[in-house]
Amino acid sequence: MARGERGTMAECVECGADVSLPDSPEVGEIVDCTTCGAELEITETDPVTVEIAPELEEDWGE
Amino acid sequence: MHLGILYSRIRRDEKLLLSALRERGHEVTKIDVREQRFGFDTPPEDFDSVDLVVDRCLATSRSRYATRFLDAYGIPVINSAATADVCADKVKTSLTLDSAGIPTPATEVAFTTDSALQSIERFGYPCVLKPVVGSWGRLMAKVESRSAAEAILEHKATLGHYEHKVFYVQDFVPKPGRDLRVVAADGVPIAGMARSSEHWLTNAAKGASTAEFEIDDEARGLAEGASTAVGGGLLGIDLMETGGSYTVHEVNHTVEFKALDDVAEADVPEQVVDWLETVAEDCEVTAA
Repeated sequence: MARGERGTMAECVECGADVSLPDSPEVGEIVDCTTCGAELEITETDPVTVEIAPELEEDWGE
Repeated sequence: MHLGILYSRIRRDEKLLLSALRERGHEVTKIDVREQRFGFDTPPEDFDSVDLVVDRCLATSRSRYATRFLDAYGIPVINSAATADVCADKVKTSLTLDSAGIPTPATEVAFTTDSALQSIERFGYPCVLKPVVGSWGRLMAKVESRSAAEAILEHKATLGHYEHKVFYVQDFVPKPGRDLRVVAADGVPIAGMARSSEHWLTNAAKGASTAEFEIDDEARGLAEGASTAVGGGLLGIDLMETGGSYTVHEVNHTVEFKALDDVAEADVPEQVVDWLETVAEDCEVTAA
């Protein structure tokens, strides 16, 4: 399936389930694993790879 | 133009911005702040040849220091280090707004639990205790009794980082179930929204419902004044209605706008890009 095409999947590094990716995934974008609830960060897009996203920190926000 | 987007997380806001920039044919370099090392003399390589950097760091601390380095290198950055410095700190924001004559909730700062308790008692109940750095409504306390005040202060003094021992005590503003967010570029409003909730916190991040807010002349004037006071840039100015008038309680320097874009008639990312183009042109003229 072409990069960024709807329906692209990645494997959750926490539980191994398939995770749906958004349209045109971007490095740095966060996706949620609907199976285990892990937040995953997209670290490569061609092909897509994901890692566990950093935990929320106190000074995050706007 | 060649734009650098300084980021640590690509939210929907950044994605909207990236899409609008690319559709107009602008060159965009995404710069992950976590991978950068900032020295005194030369900027990190990723900043080579960018005309303008847009700081979208999620972490306030990174935003404050990275923009300071970019200023030192002479690389134009939105928002400036000076603006980030004021907006990232609620004490500085309150002082800056008040000094500029912008109505803002009455506030006292105290450094011990005893003096903070005196401030709380002076404001009366309810009043509000806020962390000096923080967002999304986290660690905000509506203090409704002396016993609650004593417990919250003890927790902050015992468990908190030293910044939590800077007690920022504020008058409680009985807003009508909503507050207002105006996103403005150098003081010119792009769009506004009302954020409503039955909870006293009405942050969109806390699940408040949103609707477009038609910006009136007074809100427009306050957005312009608040923007000028903190140094200008792309800002989210938060207001509360106070019965026929407004008070400005916050100015956000890495403003999220996805919720606004969902409800506003204006295309927010397109207007942001319109403005960034004028900033980049001004930078070119200044540099020539």
